[in-house]
This record gives sequence, structure tokens and C-alpha cells, in this order.
Amino acid sequence: MPIISDRVEIKRKPKLGGGGPGKIPHRHGFGGGDDGDRGRPEDFRSRRQRMRRYRLVMGLCLFSVTVVFVVLTFLYILRLGTGRYDEDAHRQIQDWIPLKLPYLQLWVNSLLLLLSSITLEWARRGMARKEEFVDMGIVPPPLKQDLPWLGISVVLGFLFLAGQVLVWQNLQHQGVFLATNPSRNYFYLLTGTHAVHLAGGLVALLYAAGGRLLGLRFESQKIAVEVTGWYWHYLAFLWFCIFALVHFAKG
Amino acid sequence: MKAGLITEARRHGEERDFLRTYVFTSDHKMIGRQYFFLSLAAVLVGAWLSLLMRIHIVWPKTAIPFFGEIKPENYLAYLTMHGTLMVFFVLSMVPQNGFGTFFLPLQLGASEMSFPRLNMIGFWTALLSFFVLMAAFFVPGGPSGAGWTQYPPLSAIALAGPGQALGTDLWLVSIGLFCLASIMSAVNFVATTVTRRAPGMAMMRMPLTCWTWFVTAILILLAFGVLVAAVIMLLLDRHAGTSFFVPGGLLVSGKPVEHSGGSPLLWQHLFWFFGHPEVYIAILPAMGVTSHLLATFARKPVFGYKAMVGATIAIGALGFMVWGHHMFASGMDPHAGFAFSSLTTAIAVPSAVKTFNWVGTLYGGRIRYTTPLLFSVGFVSLFITGGLTGPLLAQPALDVYLHDTYFVVAHFHLIMAMAGLFAIFAATYFWFPKMFGRRMNERLGRLHFCLTLFGAYATFMPMHLLGIAGHPRRYSELTGVQYVTAMLPLQRFITLAAIVTLAAQLIFLFNLFWSLRKGAAAEANPWQCTSLEWTLPSPAPPDGFAARQPAVNHGPYEYLPGTESIEDFVMQDAPAS
Amino acid sequence: MAVALRIALGLITVGCIVLFISHPIWFPAGVSAQSAPLDHNFRVAFWVLGALFVVGQLVLIWVLVKPGTDREPKKNWYGNGRLEIAWTLAIAAIFLWFHLSGNRLWSNISSHHSVADAVQVEVTGVQFQWYFRYPGPDRRFGRVDAQRFARADEGNPLGIDPADGAGKDDIVSSALVLPAGRNVELVLRAQDVVHSLFIPAMRFKQDTVPGMEIHSHLLPTQVGNYEIACAELCGLGHYRMRAVVRVVSEEEFEKWLRAEASQ
Repeated sequence: MPIISDRVEIKRKPKLGGGGPGKIPHRHGFGGGDDGDRGRPEDFRSRRQRMRRYRLVMGLCLFSVTVVFVVLTFLYILRLGTGRYDEDAHRQIQDWIPLKLPYLQLWVNSLLLLLSSITLEWARRGMARKEEFVDMGIVPPPLKQDLPWLGISVVLGFLFLAGQVLVWQNLQHQGVFLATNPSRNYFYLLTGTHAVHLAGGLVALLYAAGGRLLGLRFESQKIAVEVTGWYWHYLAFLWFCIFALVHFAKG
Repeated sequence: MKAGLITEARRHGEERDFLRTYVFTSDHKMIGRQYFFLSLAAVLVGAWLSLLMRIHIVWPKTAIPFFGEIKPENYLAYLTMHGTLMVFFVLSMVPQNGFGTFFLPLQLGASEMSFPRLNMIGFWTALLSFFVLMAAFFVPGGPSGAGWTQYPPLSAIALAGPGQALGTDLWLVSIGLFCLASIMSAVNFVATTVTRRAPGMAMMRMPLTCWTWFVTAILILLAFGVLVAAVIMLLLDRHAGTSFFVPGGLLVSGKPVEHSGGSPLLWQHLFWFFGHPEVYIAILPAMGVTSHLLATFARKPVFGYKAMVGATIAIGALGFMVWGHHMFASGMDPHAGFAFSSLTTAIAVPSAVKTFNWVGTLYGGRIRYTTPLLFSVGFVSLFITGGLTGPLLAQPALDVYLHDTYFVVAHFHLIMAMAGLFAIFAATYFWFPKMFGRRMNERLGRLHFCLTLFGAYATFMPMHLLGIAGHPRRYSELTGVQYVTAMLPLQRFITLAAIVTLAAQLIFLFNLFWSLRKGAAAEANPWQCTSLEWTLPSPAPPDGFAARQPAVNHGPYEYLPGTESIEDFVMQDAPAS
Repeated sequence: MAVALRIALGLITVGCIVLFISHPIWFPAGVSAQSAPLDHNFRVAFWVLGALFVVGQLVLIWVLVKPGTDREPKKNWYGNGRLEIAWTLAIAAIFLWFHLSGNRLWSNISSHHSVADAVQVEVTGVQFQWYFRYPGPDRRFGRVDAQRFARADEGNPLGIDPADGAGKDDIVSSALVLPAGRNVELVLRAQDVVHSLFIPAMRFKQDTVPGMEIHSHLLPTQVGNYEIACAELCGLGHYRMRAVVRVVSEEEFEKWLRAEASQ
């Protein structure tokens, strides 16, 4: 869909100071006007800008989350590599006890998460297609068609989290507790942080899935699903990174 | 407010109650005011604590009227809370969240922030964080006594001191909440700056205040997450038996500690990786305000606008690479020390460029000596003074001697507390008309400025000498080490200067509260400033730019040379000539 | 108002100059090999930065003209690119020189090669007390396990393992006794929280971190008694965590070692 973008160029004044204006964009939503929230919600530009806004914010949040997980990964690898200082031997020693990971459970969980990502993506695209009906002024068909996908994503997400808790319990039965060794400390820290973020995403997904029942407008629900989708896919990708880390950097 | 907001709303035919107008509001202007008053509460508590600290150091047995004697164990608690309140709830709050929330949308010509309700939730989280922190005063053991830096194992082991049990847990939870609140607010700032500028408001036409709010928000997004991670790891060490920061073999108060394998240095790295960008988060908005005010009151554009933008970004980026300069004496690898030292000295260059440009802005200007200008000039003076001891401390060989002495206390108080505070005062006097519809008293403002300027220098310059003589920080009494006891006379002088300076702030408080009720009514643009917030009536009406969006045709500092008239400026939304 | 502001800033500048030139208190006399170079570095920094401070404040005073003074730079109204570049390069050059000249000393301090006849001392920081351990004639430190063996009231505050033969001749003292003119190699550790060994007269400071053994070195040059303070917040008694360095002649030092060993 075309965006009105009549760019107005102003002759650049040749000086270093003074803040010469450069090109003045007149595209709505990016320095060319606000995002049209004052217009009627059905107005096309307004919807697009709302989506852009929420996507931008989710992008920024993911940026922040990325920094945290990069730091945690770095700490994991550092601790694995450098060990701890032993005062009797007067040098660094390796004290990392490798984890015996329950791979079957972890792969099942990974599959659940991957599936939930896929179903969520279907739901997201379904809603985008639905939007075309809305544009043409046709009342959108009952959303039963995409509720299943959203609902399935929620269920799969719950199953993943439950599966993670089972993995932790399994490890505890083997005598692997949070506190017993740095490998445990960091394993639980990484998987725990990921699980907490995912739980938050699950709440958001519930909100998006139950949107209609809560009286949410179609457009708002679409934005909720889109933005939660980004978050969810990111967390799924992050899970595979963490899985790879605890497998390849086992110590 | 001249006519209360509720009365105004009723006049427009809307029914609004007290809660929706003043408490649970998503209007960015009201939220800005809420942050302002929250910071005011925090600074009053923080200043009171610093008064108690100063008195206790030099007159340990004195009983304060209505308060009693200050017990030695409380000194460290006061020190910790003073630092925490001032750094988080004052310096990281009012310049960015207080004034930024109020004025960023207005200066951009936007009707509202991108996410008004997120804005509101952010404030309430920050308020909750404040209450959790204050709760530490009322629990057994009192607040934490490990300093705002909370180095483990002192902060990780409850037995290591009073206040290290529940007090420390409350501190950790409070800071975790504060970080979340800041991230919420930062996300809003970036989104608003990117998507809600008025037509014609290119990035290079934004006032410098908007640039600093924008860059600071990005710094917040990158730095605060790491602090949350560190806080959670410390909480796990304290309660879940992990050993991120606590090594093995420790014996505290005769009792063995069960942890093993952690590294106290790890906390220092994580904390300062957050902590150094934090001080730039505190000072960048203050620099933006200074640039804006100097231009306004010198009736000249900011000298070298593009260089100022570049310097802001450079300071923000370099700020992430220098955290090790807090750790030269910590046992860190000396080669790392050299790297951090180089980068730290490098940061002095964009800071110096900003200073030159401020001076360049003032040069040749038709300067109007109003209270906001006085405080902005004070900012520049204090920034030069406090800033120049930075490169000195950046040299590891010298820092090894001066680290953890009063020299460092002097450095950061001058550049962060005093300069930052001067910018906050300048912004308050400047924006008071737009926020509350009245003018603050100029005479009282000048008196306040004069006393505070002399007081700031008198209090903190002698501290450099204390540090040079080897006086360590965070000493609750001076009787423990002989060469420190010998410095009591100079400490007494500093305490007297501090008492006078703090007393002078009562003038400001009186001025603020009296003007809220009885100040002279302000017109729309009392300072003849060019930025967009001054096109609205004073106080800024609740609907802001909602009814009429401005179109921007001019740069942010179009002041006209060669004219003596009062109309020597062009508003940003004036028609293109 | 302009005049008053200029006078105020001027008074402050003069006051600061007077304060630092007259310095009612200053560095203690330096009594180690690294104190002279460090003091020299500080002097250079002090004068360079002091000059920048004075120039900065004076320039600020200079631009604060009375309203009505005509100094309008119609040429550089928005700024001046060349000037901008020039002063950026100038200040960068000054700070680069400053940084490089300062860092030569750091590499000297931080990199150190062991000397054969250096005195070995192990420093342990404990809440709120310093302990100094000498290895005795066997020149080996005994094994330490604070959790199992440390009993301050029974004369074993560090927890030296009684089963370790190397520890039998270790000397633990609460004063740091050193011979003048000989290299000292320090191993710094802590038993509970982070402390910091600070000897102002010797321009020495090093944090003592639990879980780490940090190596450092000293060369005391003058006989006398010098105070040690703790320079990292370690709890309630931080302000009184004090000790003394007694620098004595070589003979005195040997005498002292023998006296301690016989106990």
C-alpha cells in the first residue's frame, strides 16, 4: 500500500553549527506528522502507525533483553573457562562439574516451543489476511478460525514451561541443586531467566488470545498478536541458543 | 495551578475527579509533575541524611534537636541511603523522567507520549520502588550499610554487619523495581522521539534537550538490564545458596560461610558496567538543559549544534567502555587498567568540546541575567572544576593513591551532585511557568544561587585536600586512625559550609511552594524562548497540542543578531519566511 | 548582575587557587621507592589541570558581559567549523600527552619481577584488624584454612593448619615490620569481606579480595613508623581498621624476626 511521502528538500546551509535542517520528511509517523491517532481508528495511516509504534517498542525491549542475555552468556563461558582460585594450590583450578542433561526432555521441550512459535506465526498471518476483509468494509468472519492457533500456542507455551520445571525437578532428583556448583548456578540462572521472560510472554499471549472476549478491537488484537509474536519467536530463538550453550560448553 | 485542572475540565464540559486528574492519569504533563515531586521528596530525605552524616563525623556526640544522638551504626546506613536516593531518585529521575516526560512531547510538537499508559505504569513502579527503599528504615537492623555500591561479600552475607539482612534485601528489590520503571520510561522516550515529531521537526532541528533525553533513554535501555541481572544474582547468593559473588573459605564474625567458588570482582564489573553509564544518564539531560538555557538567555544559537549532537553521542557511546576505572585498585589485570585509562581520558575530549561550545554560545550574546541563566553558568563552572579532576583520576598510578579517599568524593559531588543539581535548579526556575502557570521569585532565586554557588565550592573544594592527605572514604568517625584525626579542623570547616549550603536550600523550597500558590501569573512565553512548548499557554493545558499540531519551519535556536528589540527571536513554528 | 556574577566567579577562582597553593594539608612525606615518581606525576597533573581550571573559569568570566556591550560575532553566529576542529584537536593533544606521561609510571608499578632476597609478607584483612605473616626461615608459608582452624583468642587468627610443617615457623604479627632499603613482596588476601591496604606515606594501596591472592610489591626507603588505614568499606569497624608499618634497619629487622620466632 502506498504511503504518501512528499519529501520537501531545503537547501542545506553550509555551516557546521546551527543545526541545518537537511531533508524535511513529511511522511506521517516519522517526523512528518504524528501517527494519526487523532484520526478515526479505521483510517489506514493510523493503523499502520500504531503497528509501527508497537513494533518499535518491542524492538527496543528486545534490544535491552539481548544485552542481558549476552552478558549472562559471557559470564557462563568466563566462569567455565577460568574456574576459581584455590588458596592451597595458589592458582586457578577448574571446578566446573558438567551437567548430565536430560536430552530427551529438553528436545521434547524444544519441539513444543518450536511448534508454539509456528502456530503463533500462523495465527499472526491469519490476522493479517483478516485485515484485508476489514479494509474492504466486510465484517470480519468469526474469529473462531484463528482462535485455535492462538489457543494452541498458549497451550504449547504452558507445556514448554511445565516441561522446563520437570527438567529442573529431574535434575534435582539427581542431586543437582541450584547451589551445588557454578555449573548449576549458571544453568539455573540462564534457564530460569529465560523461563521468567517466557512466562511474561505467555501472559501477553493469553491477553492476545482472549482479546475478543475482553472486548478488544480487532486492530488492537492484531497488534497484540504481532508484537507478542516477535517476542515469542525471539525467546524461542534464545532458547535454542541457551540449549546450544549448555550442550557445547559443557565443561 | 491558577484554576485547578478539575475546574478547567468542568468548564470544558468534562467531569473529572481528583483521582483521575492528579493520581491515576496518563497525561504526560501530570506524570512529569508527579516525578518532579517524588524527586523532591527524595532529595529532602537525602539532604537531611547528608546533614546527619556531616554532623556525626565532626561532632559524634551531638544530639540533634527533635532527633537525638546519631548512633555510629547508623552512619553507614545513612551513607548508603543518601547515595542511593540521590543517584537514583534525584539525578536519574528529575532531569530525565521529571522534565523529560513533561517537555519532550511538547518540544517535539507531539500531543502525547507514544504510550501514555506505560508512562503511568512507569511512574507507579518508580513510586513503589521509593516506598520499598524507605521501608528499610523501619525494619530490624535498619537499612543496608554497604554503600550504594553494595560490594559483596559484605552485601551478600547477612552476618557481615547490621542492615545486611532485611535492609539489604529491600534495597535490592527497590533497585530492581527502579530499573524496570526506568526501562519502561526509556522505551517511551525513544518511541516518542522517533515517531511523534511534528511535521518539519527533523532530528537536526530538535532542541538539544530532546537530543540528550533521546541518547539518555538509549543508555538506560542498554545499562539497566545488567543491573537487574546483578541484583538478581546477589539475591540468589543471599537466599538460594548460589555462589556468584561469594568465594569459599570465608569466616565472618567467627562463623563459616557456606558458599564456594564465586568472585567479588564479578559484582564490581557488573555493577560498574551499569554504574558508569548511570552517571552519564544523570548528567546528559543536565547538559542538554544547560545548552538550551544558555542559548535562550544569551539570545544566540547554540555554538556548534552539530558538534554538540556528536559530543552527546560520543559521550554516551564511550561511557560504556570505561567502567574499569572504578576498579584500578581492585585486583583487576593491570593491562586492562591501561585500556580503561585510555578510554576514560578519551571521554574528556567530547566533554571539553561541550564546554567550549557553551562558552562560545555565551560569547557575544546579549545576555539576560535571569536566575535560570545564573544556574546554567554555575553548571558550566562546576562542570569545569569537577570534570578536570577526572583525567587525574583516570591515571591508574595516581588513582591507586586517591581511590576511595575524599578526593573521589569531591570529584563526583562537584560534577554530578553540584553541577547536576544546578542544572535541575535552572530547569526548575525556567520551566516553572509552563508547569505551574506562575513565576518564581527572581530575587529569592538570585540569593539562592549566590549562597549555593559559594556553598558548593566551600564544601567540596577542601575535600580534595583531605583526599590528597590520604583521608579514606566512608569513615563514620575520625578517631580510629591518627593521621585522619589530625584532619578534624578541615572536616569541621566542610561541615559548617555544608550546613550553610543546606540552609540556603530552604530559600528555594520557600520560593517553590510559595510561588505555587502566590507567584505572579505567567504569560505563555515569559523568557522569549523559541522552542515549541512556549507556544502553549502557561500552565500547559491538559490537551497540549492535541487540538492544533504545530508545523515546524525553523531551527531550534533562531535568535536574530543585530537587534535590540524584544522580538529578537523566531519561534520554531513561525511561518517560513 | 553581570558584574556581581563575574566577581563571584572570580572570588571562587582566587579562593581555589589560594586553597591549593597554601594547602593547609597535603601529601605525607613519601618514604618508598614509588613515592617520588608518583608525587612527580601528581605535580604535573596538578599544574596542568590547575592551569586548565584557571583558564576555564577566567574565560567563563570574560564572556559574561554586561547587557549592551557590543561584541557580536555576526560571522560565527551558528558556530565555526574550523575553530571547532582546532580546539578539539588541541584539547585531545593535551589529554593524550597527559595520559601517556602518566601511564609510564603505572606499568612500572604494576609489572614487577621477583627479586631474590625480597622480604615476603602475607597480608590478611579481617573485620576489623590487619594481620601480617612472615614465612620464617623455611621461606614457605604454611597452609591456611580459616573455617577450620582460625581462633583469634587462641593465637591463631589466620587459621594456620597445625598439620602443615611449613606453617610451624610462620610469624603472625599485627604490625608490619620491614627493613629499610629492601624489596618487599606482598601477598594480599582477606578472610571475610573486601578490605584495602592503604599506606599513604608509601603511596601504596591495594584491595584485599576474599578468594584471591593478589601480589604486589613495596620498597620502603626510610626508617620510621607509618600508619595503615583500610580503604574499602568493610562494615561497622571500617574506620578503626588501623595498623602500623614499622620500617627499621636491617639488623633490627633480623633481631625482631628472631625474637618473634622464638615465641
